[in-house]
Amino acid sequence: MTTADTIHPEMTTNNTEPSFEALATQLLANSAERVPSLKGQLVYRCELSKLISVLKLLNSNENLEFSQLSDLTAVDYPGRIQRFELVYQLLSITHNRRIRIICAIDEGQIVPSATGVYKSAEWPEREVWDMYGLFFSDHPDLRRLLTDYGFEGHPLRKDFPLTGYVEVRYDDIERRVAYQPVQLTQEYRDFDFLSPWEGDQELVHSSLNAEAENKENAKKDGGS
Amino acid sequence: MGEMQIRPLTLNFGPQHPAAHGVLRLVLEMDGEVIQRADPHIGLLHRGTEKLIEQKTYLQALPYFDRLDYVSPMNQEHVWALAIESALQIEVPRRAQLIRVMFCEIGRILNHLLNLTTFAIDVGAMTPLLWGFEEREHLMEFCERASGARLHAAYFRPGGVHQDIPDGLAEDILNWCDKFPNFITDLETLLTDNRIFKQRTVDIGVLSADNALALGMSGPVIRASGLAWDLRKSNPYDAYDEMKFDIPVGKTGDCYARYLVRVEEMKQSLSIIKQAIHKMEPGPVLAQNNKITPPRRGDMKMSMESLIHHFKIYTEGFHVPASESYTAVEAPKGEFGVYLVSDGSNKPYRCKIRAPGYFFMAAVDEMSRGHMLADSVAIIGSLDVVFGEIDR
Amino acid sequence: MGVIPPRMDVPIPPGETQDKILNAVTDEITNKGFVIASADKLFNWARSGSLWPMTFGLACCAVEMMHSAASRYDMDRYGMLFRPSPRQSDVMIVAGTLTNKMAPALRRVYDQMPEPRWVLSMGSCANGGGYYHYSYAVVRGCDRIVPVDVYVPGCPPTAEALIYGLLQLQKKIKRTETIARR
Repeated sequence: MTTADTIHPEMTTNNTEPSFEALATQLLANSAERVPSLKGQLVYRCELSKLISVLKLLNSNENLEFSQLSDLTAVDYPGRIQRFELVYQLLSITHNRRIRIICAIDEGQIVPSATGVYKSAEWPEREVWDMYGLFFSDHPDLRRLLTDYGFEGHPLRKDFPLTGYVEVRYDDIERRVAYQPVQLTQEYRDFDFLSPWEGDQELVHSSLNAEAENKENAKKDGGS
Repeated sequence: MGEMQIRPLTLNFGPQHPAAHGVLRLVLEMDGEVIQRADPHIGLLHRGTEKLIEQKTYLQALPYFDRLDYVSPMNQEHVWALAIESALQIEVPRRAQLIRVMFCEIGRILNHLLNLTTFAIDVGAMTPLLWGFEEREHLMEFCERASGARLHAAYFRPGGVHQDIPDGLAEDILNWCDKFPNFITDLETLLTDNRIFKQRTVDIGVLSADNALALGMSGPVIRASGLAWDLRKSNPYDAYDEMKFDIPVGKTGDCYARYLVRVEEMKQSLSIIKQAIHKMEPGPVLAQNNKITPPRRGDMKMSMESLIHHFKIYTEGFHVPASESYTAVEAPKGEFGVYLVSDGSNKPYRCKIRAPGYFFMAAVDEMSRGHMLADSVAIIGSLDVVFGEIDR
Repeated sequence: MGVIPPRMDVPIPPGETQDKILNAVTDEITNKGFVIASADKLFNWARSGSLWPMTFGLACCAVEMMHSAASRYDMDRYGMLFRPSPRQSDVMIVAGTLTNKMAPALRRVYDQMPEPRWVLSMGSCANGGGYYHYSYAVVRGCDRIVPVDVYVPGCPPTAEALIYGLLQLQKKIKRTETIARR
């Protein structure tokens, strides 16, 4: 049974068609580096400053031709130094390949918008702003997309509670829908099923925070 | 006459509107009858699915996917099952793969039936809805016989499908497949050569292939614009690599082309269903991995190990090793993808759902400029949007 | 009725006299003499026999609602005809999850419906938040926003269940409606 400390055994860097992968790595040599991933996936990590140039390169180069941005999202790792990770999924129809670009950023950093390179980035960036609070510069229209009109907070951050802070009911006296603090009749019951027999484990999420520790532990455990 | 200042009229279309396909608030700036700018306000069905998924185990999170694109629920469950299977590296048995392919295509027909008939009713033709929904009832009967629920089935599980299809269901589906072409013929007789339908849909909402690609389109929309891109052919999953079918590709990229592509896809789906049923042989429908898939109910009541496995799987759930993956399938609307980050525990760390309708709505602005108000209805209908998946 | 006001052109100010007159008039109606009882039955038969729902499909329950109006579970044979406009409808079927963002729109549409009006809450999301009860953006039951008459459980309730719920609403109308103002 895998524990929280083991990284997936199939995560390697040698698992896609070599020529395409070699070409991509070569073209991205100065800006992005390959990271281990599951079979058949190309994943690159890059710095925020090089992000737009990497996307432009992937879009325009005729050997790569990643002409569609399938998805743009963010992930929150509260324990890490660089709290957020922006993930761009790109698709090349002519070569039938997908690639993922991951970019770690801090909480207050302003991200350059990808709408200049990919038109389809407009709404995903609005959503990332709404859900995580990451600001994109040069975005044509950055406002909230999914949450309520006067919503405060960024829901998908890990420190935002599941049930939120306000709820809604109709106020007969004021004759309109009013917001009030959340009062649940029954709290969300979060059963922690992780077995107490497996010893004193650190909290599960901390395994993602210290990647160096992970590698050490994997070597120590030797496949449990 | 003195000078008159003309301001654009801001018109609020929705959120309660019979043709808004769910809860869409479209704020239109109009110059007379012509749309200058369309601003879709979505989020009126934002239920916090992704945040809720982070709090549940992998199996408990499965029904959320049913409720995303609720006209063809099983296709969405499929993505979740595939994502977990790729992270766990488990093999799905052959019978389960064929059952999945069959139900995916049934879902495709369900979706196209709803979309085409509601598109027709938005444009003014009321009869196809009543005929089409009877066919949908037949298909939902099949879903109910297999899984117990007409709409939200929770049938595709990581490792296969929940339970085997009952005896007689395969023959009934084949019988239905023989009768369904009559419906398609009727539908085409009513709509395809209809002058009014053509006037409402030809040259409305035209998308060129490059534009469609840049805007993030996928599925029938991009195929109607001329690109032959189908994830079932380019990236086959389950048993799709053995199925012989064609991909209809349109030429003009307007609403009419999308309609034709969907009608043709229904015919191709029929042939895939028949092939899947003919290839089915008796066998297990769930991967035989005790730590991931629950044992059969009979075994659970007789054997102690099965009981323990059943208990552990349904309470704690299985652990997925730390990894991240993007899995996408050809849902009836387009490319439906899931970006799953797992941290080794029994709950997903982050699950991002890439819905095709999301990008379609983003493109509504560009597509409806210069068209008239009634055309925006036709455009939204032909794009096939469902707010469950857009707003999540 | 023994109280005759001294002047007929001036409205009686609120107070004991006004109360007496109003109570006397309402007593006549609520006492349900033979004529009133039959009138009640007639109105209730008319109202329940031709309940026009308004399309308020929000999420997945809307699909089952469409199925209940389509050919197999035809709602039209009960006299129920879907009207797109709230001004022309009697009952609002809240089908699907109600989110915080949508709540003001729901209330507004409900306010636009003329009396007598009823609300049928369809599905567990509309009943009490349902599968999304603990979410930050969901109203835990549409009865926080509008008063509900019938709750139809299910996720989604089958089309048959919705028809059953509507028939229960019809029975409720026949049972509880009176021509006296509520």
